[in-house]
Amino acid sequence: MYELTICHLYPDLMNLYGDRGNIITLTKRCQWRGIEVKIIPVSLGDEFRYKDYDIIFIGGGQDYEQTILQDDLMRSKRQPIIEAVESSKVVLGICGGFQLLGKYYRTHTGSEIECIGALDLWTHGGETRLIGNLVIECDFLKGKDPQGYVVGFENHSGKTYLGEGVKPLGKVIKGFGNNGEDGFEGAIYKNTYCSYSHGSLLPKNPVLADHLITLALLNKYPDFMGLEPLSDTLEQQAHDTVIARIISE
Amino acid sequence: MKNLIKKIHLTFTIIITKITIWLLRLLDRGGTSLPGKVALKIYPDILTELADKFRIIMITGTNGKTTTSRIAAGMLEQSGIMHVTNKSGANLVSGIATTLISSLTLTGKARVRTALLETDEAAFKRIAPKLKPEVCIVTNFFRDQLDRYGELYTTLNSVREGIIGTPETVLILNADDSLCASLGKGISNPVIYFGIAPDVYPEANLNINNDAAYCINCSTRYEYSSVTFAHLGHFKCPKCGYERPEAQVECSQVLAYDNLSSTIEIRLPEMKFSTKLALPGLYNIYNALAGASLGKYLGLDEKGLIHVLEGFECGFGRMESVNVMNREIKLILVKNPTGYNQVIKYLLTQKGHCVLALLLSDNLADGTDISWIWDVDFEILSFMKERIRAFHVSGKRAEDMAVRLKYAGIEQDNIKIEHDWNKLIDNIINDAGEQETIYVLPTYTAMLDIRKVLKNRFKLKEFWK
Repeated sequence: MYELTICHLYPDLMNLYGDRGNIITLTKRCQWRGIEVKIIPVSLGDEFRYKDYDIIFIGGGQDYEQTILQDDLMRSKRQPIIEAVESSKVVLGICGGFQLLGKYYRTHTGSEIECIGALDLWTHGGETRLIGNLVIECDFLKGKDPQGYVVGFENHSGKTYLGEGVKPLGKVIKGFGNNGEDGFEGAIYKNTYCSYSHGSLLPKNPVLADHLITLALLNKYPDFMGLEPLSDTLEQQAHDTVIARIISE
Repeated sequence: MKNLIKKIHLTFTIIITKITIWLLRLLDRGGTSLPGKVALKIYPDILTELADKFRIIMITGTNGKTTTSRIAAGMLEQSGIMHVTNKSGANLVSGIATTLISSLTLTGKARVRTALLETDEAAFKRIAPKLKPEVCIVTNFFRDQLDRYGELYTTLNSVREGIIGTPETVLILNADDSLCASLGKGISNPVIYFGIAPDVYPEANLNINNDAAYCINCSTRYEYSSVTFAHLGHFKCPKCGYERPEAQVECSQVLAYDNLSSTIEIRLPEMKFSTKLALPGLYNIYNALAGASLGKYLGLDEKGLIHVLEGFECGFGRMESVNVMNREIKLILVKNPTGYNQVIKYLLTQKGHCVLALLLSDNLADGTDISWIWDVDFEILSFMKERIRAFHVSGKRAEDMAVRLKYAGIEQDNIKIEHDWNKLIDNIINDAGEQETIYVLPTYTAMLDIRKVLKNRFKLKEFWK
């Protein structure tokens, strides 16, 4: 009997538009295969022991909420998050969560907000928001999905740049991506995955969801043989129709 | 001389705008925003000119604007006050300009002296300081279409900016909403708060996806002694002491409720009475209280207030029903998680079997980002799934809705995707038994689409009341 524990960091603050869809998807796709899932919310004032968790999720938040958690994050969670990332825990950071995992966020007025620094990446606040549907091509998914396409929706003003050792999640096919300049989206470092596709990234991209679940199971159970396939007709249909429409627009 | 030129300029603008309105009517296109756009082009500060001609009541906020406007209209009628009002969807600067100009005579006199204006919350700050409303009702603040409005606090602050520009305006504010109630702090305007007394509604609960869990002043987590839904309730900040203000217009008891109505007791400074609202759901109690607050301000007595509240019927698309082939189709607009959750709770009060059709589109007016469907508690539907004969999904993002339902615990085989509106209507009618109800829950443009098809197909004249 396999078992995974998912940590939802700051679920009451970093929960912008549908981020919990990612948690729901990870949970359901495990349960349908008989894998037990526990979800532990960890918020302000809570202790964060990364070793207790197999998957750590941090979503996006509004500016106001992000300022509320800043102190708590830097004081009590920063070090364990860095250790989690370095020890190859599966971490998923979306939008604001993606930015927080980097080194700093420089607002467009010039002030710099220090971030966790777990990944060598940084963000500059822009004046315009990058909003819209997003399709990217992910090489690491090509064995499981013919084109390796991942589809989502982005809405951010920050422009993120990747340092050495951090790979992008994918190449932008449609949309803006990290900064609207270099043609890449998201970030991968060890088993940490980041994306600007806030909200429902995983539901419509079941191959990506399964990729993360597999990594978490392999971490915990070295003899794990691989996930049983599920009937993904609806997910695949949603994935394909949206991509077809976005690309033809 | 300067005044004369100004007057000529204004008259010219009114005439051109009226011609545009007439032309559009002649072409049978009920244009509500183009004439206003024309007026603003020729006379950019037209709203300031119009302000002097009208006594203005504005309504803004995330949810419940249209329903509240309609109840407010009833209050005005009951008080014998003739008024003009804008159509829902025409609540931006241009729509409001059209509404006001269309009720002027060619010489610029107001035929009707009062205007009731539903106003988009993002446009509010530009409109309110110019129109200087006598009264302004703010219903609530929830996250809504982030791709269009930006963050929730941006919307709130934009309304706040509008209010700061109108220090004389009487504010009618939701006491249970910590965001909305904060508008009444630190200003000199007279404020009337409305709200629901603690623990009067049986199904209240605290939602994890709380839009405002932390104090707006000092960022400390609020403590709640009672919650109605989402972040609405009796909040108190343990650190700075900011708390739910006392409500002058309060629902003190919910005496009965079902899927058609709620019977409530309302307490005002000098009166207390029970009334039966022909509108279901907790969110409509708030709308009724907002309307009653205006009624009280206008000087209506107990009898007058009850008359309006009990006689009220649903407006455009918020909840409409029609009988088709011995089945009742109920159309309920859904546009953001909070509203959707309220509709789902309402469905739980439904007895007997029914059919559901969830219509999701992502045009500009719906919001192009549909990830908010993951914040809706569709999981609740699985508690009543044996009473739901089928789950139909349609609209431009039907597939996304199908996936959402699957992950909410609905069997894949019971989810049917159909993009053709006509076929969808065939399917839902087929799946429903005689006398059963079909609930159609569309986003905004999906509602316009399905209404048109229903109307043409069943040749119903008095279709929507």
